[in-house]
Amino acid sequence: MSTRETASGSGAESDLDYDDLGLVAGLEIHQQLDTTTKLFCQCPTELREPEEADRTFTRYLHPTRSELGEIDEAALEESRVDREFEYLAYDSTCLVEEDDEPPHELDAEALETVLEIAQLMDMSPVDQAHVMRKIVVDGSNTSGFQRSTLIATDGEIETSEGAVGIEDLMLEEESAQRVEETDDGVRYSLDRLGIPLVEIGTKPDISTPEQALEAAERIGMLLRSTGKVKRGLGTIRQDVNVSIADGARVEIKGVQSLDDIDDIVRTEAARQRELVEIREELAERDASVGDVQDVTDVFEDTESGVIGGALNSGGAVMGVPLAGFDGIVGREIAPDRRLGTELSDHAKRHGAGGIFHTDELPAYGVTEDEVAALREAVGAGPDDAVAIVAADTDVAEAAIEAAAERAETALEGVPEETRGANDDGTTRYLRPLPGAARMYPETDVPPVEPDPSEVPEPELLTEKVERYQDEFDLGEGLAEQVAYGKHMPLFEDVVADGIDPTLAATTLESTLTELRRDDVPIEALTEAHIASVLQLVEAGELPNEGVPDLLTVLAEEPDQTAEEAAEDAGLGGADEAEVREAVVGVVERNEEQVAEEGMQAFSGLMGECMGALRGKADGDLVSQLLREEIQKRS
Amino acid sequence: MNPGDRVRVDRADRTYEGVLLPSSTDEQLVVKLEGGYNVGVDRDGADISVLAEDVYEIDGDADGDDAVDAAEDADADADDDASDEVEFDDDLPTISLISTGGTIASTVDYRTGAVTAQFDAEDVLRAVPDLAGRANYRGRVVANILSENMEPPIWQDLAEAVHEEIENGADGVVVMHGTDTMQYSASALSFMLETPVPIVFTGSQRSADRPSSDNVMNAVSAVEAAKSDCAEVLVCMHGTESDDVCALHRGTRVRKNHTSRRDAFETVGAEPLGTVDYHSETVSFRRDYQERGEVDLTLSDALESDVELLKFTPGMDPAFLDVVEGAEGLVIEGTGLGHVHTDLIPRIEELIADGTTVVMTSQCLEGRVCDRVYDTGRDLLDAGVIEAGDTLPGTAKVKLMWALANEESVTETMQTSIAGELQERSVPWE
Ligand SMILES: [Zn+2]
Repeated sequence: MSTRETASGSGAESDLDYDDLGLVAGLEIHQQLDTTTKLFCQCPTELREPEEADRTFTRYLHPTRSELGEIDEAALEESRVDREFEYLAYDSTCLVEEDDEPPHELDAEALETVLEIAQLMDMSPVDQAHVMRKIVVDGSNTSGFQRSTLIATDGEIETSEGAVGIEDLMLEEESAQRVEETDDGVRYSLDRLGIPLVEIGTKPDISTPEQALEAAERIGMLLRSTGKVKRGLGTIRQDVNVSIADGARVEIKGVQSLDDIDDIVRTEAARQRELVEIREELAERDASVGDVQDVTDVFEDTESGVIGGALNSGGAVMGVPLAGFDGIVGREIAPDRRLGTELSDHAKRHGAGGIFHTDELPAYGVTEDEVAALREAVGAGPDDAVAIVAADTDVAEAAIEAAAERAETALEGVPEETRGANDDGTTRYLRPLPGAARMYPETDVPPVEPDPSEVPEPELLTEKVERYQDEFDLGEGLAEQVAYGKHMPLFEDVVADGIDPTLAATTLESTLTELRRDDVPIEALTEAHIASVLQLVEAGELPNEGVPDLLTVLAEEPDQTAEEAAEDAGLGGADEAEVREAVVGVVERNEEQVAEEGMQAFSGLMGECMGALRGKADGDLVSQLLREEIQKRS
Repeated sequence: MNPGDRVRVDRADRTYEGVLLPSSTDEQLVVKLEGGYNVGVDRDGADISVLAEDVYEIDGDADGDDAVDAAEDADADADDDASDEVEFDDDLPTISLISTGGTIASTVDYRTGAVTAQFDAEDVLRAVPDLAGRANYRGRVVANILSENMEPPIWQDLAEAVHEEIENGADGVVVMHGTDTMQYSASALSFMLETPVPIVFTGSQRSADRPSSDNVMNAVSAVEAAKSDCAEVLVCMHGTESDDVCALHRGTRVRKNHTSRRDAFETVGAEPLGTVDYHSETVSFRRDYQERGEVDLTLSDALESDVELLKFTPGMDPAFLDVVEGAEGLVIEGTGLGHVHTDLIPRIEELIADGTTVVMTSQCLEGRVCDRVYDTGRDLLDAGVIEAGDTLPGTAKVKLMWALANEESVTETMQTSIAGELQERSVPWE
């Protein structure tokens, strides 16, 4: 599971020589911890539905200039004082999340968990950990800052292509979940705020896309080996930093799926290489970016819906000539993304819908005559390109300036920036790289002194897979499923309580999956339900065959105990006398067949017996008694 | 090796590089690393080398830690300041902002975290830019103390400063005060000053060093209240947990009823006197109030400092009463309608005979003292105890200090409303 077949050979970029390119990549992984309580209060780390909120309140944030530090204008825009943040609070959140009570002390369970993680990555804990405030002004933290603590530094993990250094490990509080935009700002849900989050940053030691994936998988495996990390969508987030020798550092945020990491790195390396080639070509052509001009007149009678719409509502068309750019704006730099798409991303940041450029025109209702008139209006020759934005005049001006600026950057090569991961493995421009975060001491929380000597060394998932095979006789596939599955801690608990490992493993990995496929609402089942069902089997009160039925009953009526459900549904184990009675009944009904076929009749009658007992009896017992009864009569 | 030096610390198998912070102790070095994180390193066994001296200017403030970041800001701020010339606008009222060292004021000088003696309009606007354009401001520092360290002589300094500001033409006064003892200071000024303009106390429950602080909305609302027609001593703090409405409480009826919530301040037994809507910036009142210009400015700031407040609880050692022997005044926070253990009554009678004025209030907080109902109460009255009606215990202490120093008949004063502290009629307030 941890050593995947890497997908080299697929995709157009697979033939890149990353050594040659000077690929350097690093990972930043954020993983929620599955602790009993939140990092700075005694609330549970449980997620809620917005409809379950029992109170709401609204706030504004008022960061001072010096608190913001080097913040880019767009982020500043997001912190405008008139942005109103509405928060949903629950019976599972308290005044700490509401920033109406000082934080409690750092959660001991979370600290112990991250020390375990640090140990697994061979890191050195600090002597004294100081909780810091990292200013965050988008409303996702009620306080206006995120609390973050450096716990350990300087570790290492192994990959098949060599060691990857681990720079640092931070214990942080998770932010509030964004529910939706409102008329005046944003609505956030407080359930997620304060869940402990571990952030792990690697050193830039990764040199191939495959190694990036392997390192991410290795870190993921180590995290899950603690058995104390949350599972499921959104509980782990990966950021990837990529650069090539002639390129620039690009931070890619929000890679949702681990499996995409190699593709993201591959695509980004290729994108940077394309941009470097574009730079060289533009230099050869002596390309340059001209002055922004109002070209509204050109489109006075346009048939283009987009442009016409903007002009009808009193807007303008702004254009910029890009000397020497002909054919380059339309050049593909990533699958289905052109240099023009980058220009467009920048224009969008300023409220425009995007840009049009001459490499893609005539199209979108813009005629050949209009293109000619446009070139004429801005003085663009056949080797040049023109980009335009149609929107409200202010927006159009700001947007075309942004696009022009990005075109200017193309002359220099790859811009340093923060990009967002798209679902298709490509990325889009988000914002400039953030400046150094402003960090202030969180004076409300005393420093803590991590004690690594008390930290248990968890068994790695890879080691578990082997142990499950050796010790429990599980097949390799099942052992992997259990070890990497989300029920691993439950599996270990029930096996420690004397449940047969094979029964536990098949129940947790096969039975539950099958029930889900049959639309049984298994999410209603608690770990206690599952454990007590297994206990019934172990105590001989429920045959193996009754497990799916009993779990189904419990999933549908989760308020019952397993015992109650078994009794109500008549799933209790039949004793030997009952089984014999049923078997005798079947044999007697088929007297003739038994007399004729003898033991040949066994398999046909076995099915009938099991049916008669409706899952209440153990198959081995039925089989044994059926043999006895047939023998008596043949 | 000094705070502000760039250092390298080697200890065990670890190496840290960063700026040495003044929060270092004898046992631990605290280093701010490149990424901004602080980390503590045990001195024991640590090998320290100074890479560069005085990389950052470290101010001598208590915590000292912010100073590292702040030093970098200083230049940027200085640039801003040059263009920050605050102009006087004839069309706007003049509001005096007086600081006593509360949490609002703590942003006034972000660089040191302390309030300096020079506290002018520019400082105020830098701390709370949202105040711009609402008034012409005059800034003044009366004290720079933690609210819990407030003392009666500072109430007197404060009352004199407010008096002087109003005399010099302020159309309203905003007092920035820590929240712990704000209600006592507001009471003191309520008794000491007769005012023709609003005097509005405000502060913040959540520290001004966080972007979410309530200081901005409270300060803005207090300025709006100080521009209003209500010439009383008011407390202006959040009315709800949201940043929507500030409540205006009468200074003598307000109490801090929560340790940390923004809406900790409540008018006891009633809705607040008024509100300031943060969105519309409108100030409105629920009940009658003293209007602007209704009375002339007067100051009666004498106080009798030898007054104590004693809360009676079951099992209280009677020796507590010996402690106040000889005091000028004693306010008792009794149980229920105004009672103490009957065994204490003879001792109270002795104190009164000895010249101590003893006033009864109730720890119920809501409702009025009535010692005519039960024997214990009647015995207390016979002993000479004065009932303070529904005056809050804390307010009664401040009032007794003022009454003993300013009034002929203390008994009559304690039973008469001077500044809205005592309600003649108990009605279901709205
Ligand atoms: Zn909580």
